[in-house]
Amino acid sequence: MNLSFFDQFTSPYLLGIPLILISMLFPALLLPSPNNRWITNRLSTLQLWLFHLITKQLMIPLNKNGHKWALLLTSLMTLLLTINLLGLLPYTFTPTTQLSMNMALAFPLWLATLLTGLRNQPSIALGHLLPEGTPTPLIPALIMIETTSLLIRPLALGVRLTANLTAGHLLIQLISTATTALLPIMPTISLLTALILFLLTILEVAVAMIQAYVFVLLLSLYLQENI
Amino acid sequence: SAAILVRGKPGGHRGEGQPVGRAVTGSVPFDMLSRLVLRAAPAALRSLAPPATVGVLHVTRPLHTTQQRSAPLPPLPEKGGEVRHGLIPEEFFQFLYPKTGVTGPYMLGTGLLLYLLSKEIYVINHETVAAACILTVIIYGVKKYGADVAAFADKLNEEKMAQALAVKNEAIKGLETAIEEEKKEQWRVEGRKYLFDAKRNNIAMLLETNYRERLLTVYNEVKKRLDYQVAMQNLKRQKEQDHMIQWVEKNVVQSITPQQQKDSIAKCILDLKALSKRAQAAV
Repeated sequence: MNLSFFDQFTSPYLLGIPLILISMLFPALLLPSPNNRWITNRLSTLQLWLFHLITKQLMIPLNKNGHKWALLLTSLMTLLLTINLLGLLPYTFTPTTQLSMNMALAFPLWLATLLTGLRNQPSIALGHLLPEGTPTPLIPALIMIETTSLLIRPLALGVRLTANLTAGHLLIQLISTATTALLPIMPTISLLTALILFLLTILEVAVAMIQAYVFVLLLSLYLQENI
Repeated sequence: SAAILVRGKPGGHRGEGQPVGRAVTGSVPFDMLSRLVLRAAPAALRSLAPPATVGVLHVTRPLHTTQQRSAPLPPLPEKGGEVRHGLIPEEFFQFLYPKTGVTGPYMLGTGLLLYLLSKEIYVINHETVAAACILTVIIYGVKKYGADVAAFADKLNEEKMAQALAVKNEAIKGLETAIEEEKKEQWRVEGRKYLFDAKRNNIAMLLETNYRERLLTVYNEVKKRLDYQVAMQNLKRQKEQDHMIQWVEKNVVQSITPQQQKDSIAKCILDLKALSKRAQAAV
C-alpha cells in the first residue's frame, strides 16, 4: 500500500470498525499472567523480576501512604513501556503518539496528586509554591512563577511523551524514505543514510523506554511532594 | 496502517461450540494448535463468566482424552516447542517434509515472498527499510544477550529453589545433630553406676573428716581444762614454797644477835689474814 507520513499516526480502522481499543489493550496479551506454580517458566520469572524492580524503584522514596499508588504506577509504567516498544515495529500504530491519550493519562493523575496534597496537607502543598530562602522582594513574582510551573505540569507530561515519540517515529519515517529514494540514485549515500537510520532506531528503542520511565517517575515525584 | 494482527486467542473462543479437532486434515496443525489450546485453556476458561465456563466445559467434554485430575499438577514441559529461525515451529517443517523434502518450506517461503512482491500485494515503501532496521536491532539483541537473559532467569529460579532446599537441609541437619546428642546422652546414662559410687565415696569421706575434726576439738577442750587444773596446783605449791622461804629467812635474820655478828666478822678477818699469808707464800 502507498503510505503517506500521516498513516502512522492515524487511529486505525478496519472496515469502519475502530481498532483503537484493541491497539491500546493488545500489549497486555503479551504479558503472561501468573499461574499458581511456584517455579514458573523463564518469561514469567523475568516478568516478575522486572515488576519487582520497577515497583521497588518507584516506591522507595514514597512514604506509606504513597504505597497505595504502587499498582497504578507500575501498571502505567508497563503499559507505556510495551506500547512504546511495540510501536517501533513496522506498520504499527502507537497510541502514545496521540496527544489525546497522553493528556488523558497525565491530567487526571497529576490532578489526583494535587488534590491529595491540597486535601491532606494544604499548607505544605501550598508551601511548595515558594522555595526556601528567597529574598522578600522576589516573593510575589516567584509565587506566580511557581504557580505557572505547577499548572503547566500536566501539559508538560503529556506533550513530552507525545512529542518524543512522534518526533522519533517521524524521523524514522523520513530517513527511511530518504534511504528508499536514494537507493537507485546514489547507493553509497543511501547506505550512509541506512546507517544513520540504524543508529536512530537504537536511539528510539532507548527513548521509548526512557520516556515511559520519565513519565511515571515525574508522577511519583509529584506524588512525593503532596502525599 | 493496520493494527498488529492479534494471534488467534486460543482455548476460550475456539472451544465455544466448535470442537478443536474439526479440521484434522493434517496432524501437524492439530499438534501445534492443540499445544496452544492445552497451555492456554485453563487461563482462558478462568477469565470467562461462570455460566460460559460451564457451557464450554460441557460442550468440549467429548474431546477429553484423560481423566480430569487437579492434583498432582501435571508437570511443565522441560523446554518450549522446537522453533526454527526463532519464528516457525519445527512441526511445520516436519509436516511438509514427506511431500517436499528438506527445502520444501524454504521454497514455499521464497515463492510466497516473490509472489507478494511481484504482484505488489506487498509494496516496498519506507516502512520496509524501517522494518529491516528494527529487525536487525532485535535479532542482534536476541543473539547477543539471549543466552545471558535465559541464564539469569534460570538463576532466579535456582535461587528460589535453593532457599527452600536450604531450609529443608538445615532442618534435617538440626534433627541429625539432635539424634547424635541423644545417642551420647544414652551412652552417658550407662556410666551412672560409677558416678553414684564416686559420689557416695565422696560423701563418706566428708563425713569421716568431719567426725575426726570434731573428735579433735573435744580432745583439745578436755586438755585445756586439765591443764588449767595442773597449773592451779603448781601455782599453789609455788606460792607456799616462796612464803615458807621468806618466813625462814626473816626468822634467821631476826635471830642473828649483835654479839654473834661481831664474832663472825672477827673470824672472817682472821681467816682472811691466814689466806693472805698463804697466798703470799705461794707467790
